[in-house]
Amino acid sequence: MDPSWITSTGIDIGTSTTKMIVSRLKLARTSSALSLPRYEIAERQLLYASAIYNTPLKGDDEIDAVRLWDIVSDEFGKAGISKGDLKTGAVIITGETATKANAGKIVHLLADRSGDFVVATAGADLEALLAGKGAGADRRSNGTKGAVANIDIGGGTANAAIFQRGKPIGTVTFRVGGRLIRIDGNGTILQVSSSLRPWLEASGYRLEEGMSITYVDLKKICQSLCRTMLDYMSGIAIPSKDETVRALLLGKPLLEVPRLEECMVSGGIGRLMNERAPLTLSETAIHNDIGPLLAHALKEALANYPFRWVKADETVRATVIGAGTQSMIISGATVHLDPKLLPLRNLPVLKLEITQNLLDHPVNLEDFFAETMRSGANLYDTEASPPFALALSGMPILGYSSLQLISEYIVLSFSRYFPECGVIAVICESDFAQALGQALQRRIGPRKKVICIDQVRVEHGDYIDMGEPISGIMIPVVVKTLAFQSRVEVTGSFEPDDEGTR
Amino acid sequence: MNSSIQLELFVNRVMEELEKKLSESPREPMIDHSSTETVHASDPDVVTVKVPQPKWKEGLTELIESTPARIGVWRTGTRPLTKEMLKFRCDHAAAIDSIYGEVNANLLDRLGLFAVETRYGNTENYLKRPDMGRIVTEAGVATLRQACKPKPQVQIVVSDGLSANAIDSNLSDVYPSLLDSVDAYGLTAGTPFFVKGGRVAVMDHIGELLEPEVLVLLIGERPGLVSSKSMSAYMCYRPRNGTVESDRTVISNIHPGGTPPVEAGAYIGTLVLKMLERKASGIHLDV
Amino acid sequence: MNLTTRVLGKTYQFLNLKEVMAKANEEKSGDQLAGIAAEDAKERMAAKLILSDLTLADIRDHPLLPPETDEVSRVIEDAVNEKIFTEIRNWSIAELREYILGQQTGNDQIRRISRGLTSEMVAAVTKLMSNLDLVQAASKIEVTTHCNITIGQRGVLSGRAQPNHPTDSIPGMKAALYEALSYGIGDAVIGINPVIDSADSVKNILLATKEVMEKWNIPTQNCVLAHIKTQMKAIRQGAPADMVFQSLAGTEAGNKAFGIDVALLDEANDLVRREGTGTGPNLWYFETGQGSELSAEAHHGIDQVTLEARCYGLARKYKPFIVNTVVGFIGPEYLYDSKQVIRAGLEDHFMGKLQQLPMGVDVCYTNHMKADQNDMDNLAVLLSAAGVNYLIGVAMADDCMLNYQSTSYHDIATLRETMRLRPATEFEIWLNRMGIMENGRLTPMAGDPTMFM
Repeated sequence: MDPSWITSTGIDIGTSTTKMIVSRLKLARTSSALSLPRYEIAERQLLYASAIYNTPLKGDDEIDAVRLWDIVSDEFGKAGISKGDLKTGAVIITGETATKANAGKIVHLLADRSGDFVVATAGADLEALLAGKGAGADRRSNGTKGAVANIDIGGGTANAAIFQRGKPIGTVTFRVGGRLIRIDGNGTILQVSSSLRPWLEASGYRLEEGMSITYVDLKKICQSLCRTMLDYMSGIAIPSKDETVRALLLGKPLLEVPRLEECMVSGGIGRLMNERAPLTLSETAIHNDIGPLLAHALKEALANYPFRWVKADETVRATVIGAGTQSMIISGATVHLDPKLLPLRNLPVLKLEITQNLLDHPVNLEDFFAETMRSGANLYDTEASPPFALALSGMPILGYSSLQLISEYIVLSFSRYFPECGVIAVICESDFAQALGQALQRRIGPRKKVICIDQVRVEHGDYIDMGEPISGIMIPVVVKTLAFQSRVEVTGSFEPDDEGTR
Repeated sequence: MNSSIQLELFVNRVMEELEKKLSESPREPMIDHSSTETVHASDPDVVTVKVPQPKWKEGLTELIESTPARIGVWRTGTRPLTKEMLKFRCDHAAAIDSIYGEVNANLLDRLGLFAVETRYGNTENYLKRPDMGRIVTEAGVATLRQACKPKPQVQIVVSDGLSANAIDSNLSDVYPSLLDSVDAYGLTAGTPFFVKGGRVAVMDHIGELLEPEVLVLLIGERPGLVSSKSMSAYMCYRPRNGTVESDRTVISNIHPGGTPPVEAGAYIGTLVLKMLERKASGIHLDV
Repeated sequence: MNLTTRVLGKTYQFLNLKEVMAKANEEKSGDQLAGIAAEDAKERMAAKLILSDLTLADIRDHPLLPPETDEVSRVIEDAVNEKIFTEIRNWSIAELREYILGQQTGNDQIRRISRGLTSEMVAAVTKLMSNLDLVQAASKIEVTTHCNITIGQRGVLSGRAQPNHPTDSIPGMKAALYEALSYGIGDAVIGINPVIDSADSVKNILLATKEVMEKWNIPTQNCVLAHIKTQMKAIRQGAPADMVFQSLAGTEAGNKAFGIDVALLDEANDLVRREGTGTGPNLWYFETGQGSELSAEAHHGIDQVTLEARCYGLARKYKPFIVNTVVGFIGPEYLYDSKQVIRAGLEDHFMGKLQQLPMGVDVCYTNHMKADQNDMDNLAVLLSAAGVNYLIGVAMADDCMLNYQSTSYHDIATLRETMRLRPATEFEIWLNRMGIMENGRLTPMAGDPTMFM
């Protein structure tokens, strides 16, 4: 089959700015004619990048959906995109605007008016990963021996993603951003974000609204802020021993800080690093915040660490480009499903690891499935169809009899704990979805539906979206990663199993 | 409202449940049931680094893991190290033995396959005279006429081809999965059987005899060093004398380290369905 | 033309030249499969005796496949220098053999008469030569070519790095390529056989190999061995190909089975000259192998040695940078055992060299052939003595994508050291600079692929 191109969009709605891009993704067969079919995204092209808009708000943090739609539809027009053209896309809602109410509204609006969007939320980890990919840190790390970090720094948070040899190995978030301290051109402090206060206190700084501050003192604070962050990133400071690091970290620290070879900075601060350094308070306060000064403090601070600072491919648009080009993967092409059931959004993942040991002891295997389904029934809505996606990992190759055994226990336990569910969804890490799906269907009967896809790697606590099939057999999938094992989502995001977004 | 707390709660609860379960699993030692051979020439799970002082040690592991090619093997003078050389010879020995081996008769019995032969005669002649492996013996023809349902929708045939080992290793996974798939699509299969000493084009002779709509031949491939157990599935819409190779659809490299056997079985069913729908196979079937 | 002789008390009468040529061959399972081989050793000798007395004119006057019906025959005929042919037309095949092997005959003399020979004459003399004849005769012939660098000089043994991967994984290919380079292999070409025959795949592999070449300033050339049409599509999409590749057959019908004809080769030739990235003037890579015409049922009853010689007659038209016979790949129905493979390897190398081709050999076997790695060791040594331009380098001789065994990186390094051969000059300078080689020998650093990471 000839490679086919699909059009994708990414929309990044942040507290302060909104931007969108349009890209082309090339889906190409990556297996030989003598193998099972397999398709992947072979190429990504950025077709259009919008201007950067102020996010239209009603009140403090409620997005004005009507005005937002005006911006988006206007930009689609400029990009020459009409509703039917879009096959996939990602909307990322970040910062304080990432509330359930906002997200629900926007998802409905966009889905109704401009085709099907696969993703509709973000957490700090996903945001960091998408920004890192959009900034080019993942590709960059293919050419270095050590790890490459991208820190995406906006108004309120710094989301760092670390890549090694092309693979993401960790994300971490700091309370570092350009708008955490707001000042005017005379050095009067207009506002100090509550998010930053613990660090200010731990570092011995006293800042109150209405106080006046000199350029030199403000610069010292910015330098100190950068130092705390980079000390952590370089492994010099350890949270358990350093109160300032603890105060700066938002959510859990990395399991282990890898040795960084390079570091890049994206986001608004990344862009400001490429501009002229502010030399006075009035030059600093052009947007009534510390952004320009923080950017240059960071640039100077980076010179003192053992990793190289390299320019990001993209700065302010890194996240949106990541969202529009990097969020989707393609399932294996031998699957079992009824296309009418798609798209499915925000399915929580319940993961099981099949081991040879379990296969050798069918009684244990049966218990294992039953216990998993029981805990699933406690966690999820037992009447939703499907209530969750069961992910199977572990055995790369399963024999026919093992597969029959597994399908038997899945159907038994599912029917017991989810008797009202009409659809069961299974995601296999290895290539056996069609065979397993066919075995499940034989057992579960024609009245119920089976969705079984494969070659998608997910973890406990991930959420997954499955789009409508492209060219009949390519199922676009977005895995919303919440965690690198131990790390759990901490910043605001709307409730992922919100009924309204299914 | 802080939804993230709920989310965290969810995740933690799932994790707790699963961890509890996992720790309760029995702890008997793992037994490898896949092989009873005493020589484990290639163990894919173990990456041993032999280069004494690589410039980048982690990099070497990455290179070795990126390809089944025998790299990072080091040398003595300009020659390979002894174990590496012997490992190569072991794999070659396995390949040779699978050509001169015979398919396990119990396996064929268990799957309900009776056997006929081609005119291949003996292995040497089989290798030199592929034309003889394309014709079923007269006795075989008589058996097929008598035992097989004529004009079936789907005819499944199994042959040792160049690797008996391939059939022994994969048939019990591919064949039932294929039958399930055929059944799931509401198709009907004819009387299956085994052909000893078959070449791919034996499909044409069988096609003439039984006149199936679609014929699926599961046959042992020429063994390689990576695997001597590799099987192919050749499929053809109405194979008859004069069918050309480009009329056949092929799924190759079926073995646990290549095209996964059970999934291959299921997918062959999908291909058969497409052939029946479009009345074509090979290059005429766009999949 | 006399077709009758008496050997060991028995009279043999042959029908025509085609029969004599077939039966004069050393034993090959492919000729037996085609039903044209000698019945027994005596009949084989009778055919050889008859052939030894036939003249070059006899052969030219009795075309096995007339130029009117076969374009490969036309290409071969068109290339004959009539003046030189006239000088030697009355030579018997025996005299041709003795001329080539004669003490006074060197590279220049052979090069001159080669212009008056057709591929059938080349095949005929080959049938009268022993293995050692083939080694000595070939060793006299030096064919140097230049794509980005020069190879083929006397004393040079080059290697093709063949870092194939079963799913075309670019990192996997690079890994095997780094290993090759670390053993000093890759001066003939970095040549990859793709699994997926698509322009995208070809382009990606060409870009990846080019990137490695540029990053490390490697003086060599790249090539992806997809079908010529796929390569042309990739080149038109901007893929950086130093050379183009195609498998050839010795008959028009055989080439048709490969999906090519002379017009297509001409078109590709034009394209690579205009849009290829190689310096030239030699911008082609051809592969051949005894038996391919029979397997395509396009052999016209002609024996496989003669058909192989005709492949070289066609290849010569395009002044290739490298040609190799994939001697043991096709299977035991054409070359049954190691004896036949070794013979075919020496025949092909000589026949190509005599037609002024830069011959390499893929010294190889499949697992259903009665041969093993020891046989390959033997043939590789024989060919190194015969002055083969290059051999194939595969990690530990095991090609994990094509599923056959060839010669290894270690083997080429060993042959260089034991036979006192060197890599191509520009490449050796680079190897010295990288610290992989010193005074023609591998350094302690050699064999560490991570030096390229």
